[in-house]
Amino acid sequence: MQYNKRFSMEQKKAVWGWIFVAPSLLFFLVFSFYPIFNAIYMSFFKKNLLSLKPPEFVGWGNYVYLFHSKTFWQSVSNTAVFTIGTFIPLVVFSLMLAVFIVSRPRFQKFFQMALYSPAALSSVVAALIWLLIFDPRGLANQTLNTLMRTSGVNYHWLSSSSMLRLSTIIVYFWKYVGYFTVVFVAGIGGIPDYLHEAALIDGADSWKDFWHITFPLLKPTTLLVSVMVMIQCLKTFSTQYLFSTSGAPTRPIDVITLSIYNTAIKDHNIGRASAMSVLLFLVMLILTWLQLRIAKTEDVTYN
Amino acid sequence: MRRFSRWFTIGLVMSLCLIVPLSLGVSAAKTIELTYWTHTDDNRTEIEDRYIAEFTKMYPNVKIKRVVNEGSKMGDLVLTAFSAQNAPDIFNLPIEQQYAYVQHYRVAPVDYKAAGYKDANDLRAQYLDGTFDAVTMDGEIWGLPLELTNWCIYVNKKIFRDAGLDPLKDYPKTWEEIANVSDKIAIREGDIIVRRGFDFRYPYYLVSVLPMIEQLGGKLLSDDGKKAIVNDEAWLKILEYMRDWGPHGRNLGSPTYTAPRKIWNKDNNDMAMCVSGFYQQGRLRIDNPEFYDSKEWMVIPFPVFKDAVNDVACSYYGHYMMVNAQTSKEKQEMAWKFIAYMLDHPMEYLEKVNIIQPRKDLLESKAFKELPYMDVFMGDMERAHIVFLHENGYQFERFIKEAVESVMLSGVQPKEALDTLRERIQEVIDSEL
Repeated sequence: MQYNKRFSMEQKKAVWGWIFVAPSLLFFLVFSFYPIFNAIYMSFFKKNLLSLKPPEFVGWGNYVYLFHSKTFWQSVSNTAVFTIGTFIPLVVFSLMLAVFIVSRPRFQKFFQMALYSPAALSSVVAALIWLLIFDPRGLANQTLNTLMRTSGVNYHWLSSSSMLRLSTIIVYFWKYVGYFTVVFVAGIGGIPDYLHEAALIDGADSWKDFWHITFPLLKPTTLLVSVMVMIQCLKTFSTQYLFSTSGAPTRPIDVITLSIYNTAIKDHNIGRASAMSVLLFLVMLILTWLQLRIAKTEDVTYN
Repeated sequence: MRRFSRWFTIGLVMSLCLIVPLSLGVSAAKTIELTYWTHTDDNRTEIEDRYIAEFTKMYPNVKIKRVVNEGSKMGDLVLTAFSAQNAPDIFNLPIEQQYAYVQHYRVAPVDYKAAGYKDANDLRAQYLDGTFDAVTMDGEIWGLPLELTNWCIYVNKKIFRDAGLDPLKDYPKTWEEIANVSDKIAIREGDIIVRRGFDFRYPYYLVSVLPMIEQLGGKLLSDDGKKAIVNDEAWLKILEYMRDWGPHGRNLGSPTYTAPRKIWNKDNNDMAMCVSGFYQQGRLRIDNPEFYDSKEWMVIPFPVFKDAVNDVACSYYGHYMMVNAQTSKEKQEMAWKFIAYMLDHPMEYLEKVNIIQPRKDLLESKAFKELPYMDVFMGDMERAHIVFLHENGYQFERFIKEAVESVMLSGVQPKEALDTLRERIQEVIDSEL
């Protein structure tokens, strides 16, 4: 009775809210926030991963080194090429596929499942499958030779710099296009039917319906997808790692995450790798903030 | 009476509360649990599981957990475990990787007495000279060799004959001949090679490509370790050789094709020669017993360049058993006892796993000398040295890989690739000095 008097209904709800949120909050604290703060801290030290000696404080030394490092800027450029090359087709095609699926009267679930299935595969397995396809004697060369009506031309999927970059983009696109299509399908499903019906009554064809009803009202979903795609692209690692350890030249696909891995695990330089992680984190943060800010110009309502 | 029984019950419960944890504590103190991480090898798993069973029967208070990891991931896993202070008690890795663990005192020196030796000299006396050079520091030995391996060239005689060559006379002795013979053997469909003569083991540049540079008088580091890349001419010649080997040159092979040693065993008329160790024979016997018994294969020495100034064969490398320095002294002692027990079966390791432990009693045995092509492997071993060892060796290997592959695949000029390589290695050296 006293308990009921002391706490209002809102306060009780808030307590329960905290209780329910606490496990995930703890999870984030341990597995996300702690590594982030630890990486920021470590980025100011010179530390060999194997050494038992205490880390040596170098201040901004690791950052200064990175800003002068050709290899680091090469990996920044590789990441930018990959992100731009993947981001645009991934967002555009997943939206197009979603519209196509929603417009089908039948087999919607089948299309969604078929497109989504690569996303369920582990990235390593996906890269291994594509390694076989891109092998000089593999399916990719055979298909292109058939399409181009050539014979025995090696398109150097895993060796020429530009083809290698394209190969990593293809793998990533194949793996994630279904996932983002499903997100768009859910977004389209959230648009009330009466809006489409009203447009139909007003004489709009499906093209106009898409551009004037579906597309503008999908803005929150498009924003969500574009932020997710961009972050995913900046974090890309396993395809590049597997390709580079399977004979492909590292330089064209040495993205920041691969560079972080090599610096920490192969070179044992955890301080410098932490500095690279912090920079990548900041880039992600800024780009996400920018996207949110650009998208905030007008809110979407169904009224 | 009721009061007595109540007090008796309370006393009994309290005694049990004291005795049970104490007895558990005593038995826990007596039980030694060792964790042993190693790489996948089914043949070795079979015999080592048995050794563990035998050893734990001899020492009932010892429990050994053998954890098998994919060979290519072992390095990362062990490193991560050590950096998280959660490493196994016993582990093995290629010496190129283990070297840094010794340098940073992350492993314990051999406990000679526990391993059954009087001292370091007694241990050295049992093994081939130089076996412990790579793991000797501060006058102590820091690991016991599980295997010492060198590579020679395996030849498929049928493919040689199919290409109009006599394998016994025409087998390549020089790198120039390797390229010419490979050109004769290669079958291409347009640009795509469907049968290769020979191809390299691309990721292992320190083991197999650095000796080629040394043959021409080049070195990775100067003798004082302060200067990267000695003898530009030798390095340029190798980079040019690799460029000519690749798809933009004579198109004889490339890192993007399937690794030769993986397809050579199949005898599918797609790979005539591959570079591999004695262990390849054990794998061949399992993968393709018909080909193994056919006498249609042979092993030839590691080639040299026609104008070589040093007769250097492929470097040999080792896997050493090491013990985590951060585990208790009691565990370390038992770990060395267990390692010594396992390694005390060199003939079984040779017969069942095809790996060579460089123990004198094994190397001098008749059975060892009569093994197929052992004379070729031992002959090459005599003109070889251990793989390049440096705390940053792995990093250097990655830089060499990038230089070679940029020349072979990305059209970078050898001079430019060499300058970049030098700059990168020099930077690492300078930061260490």
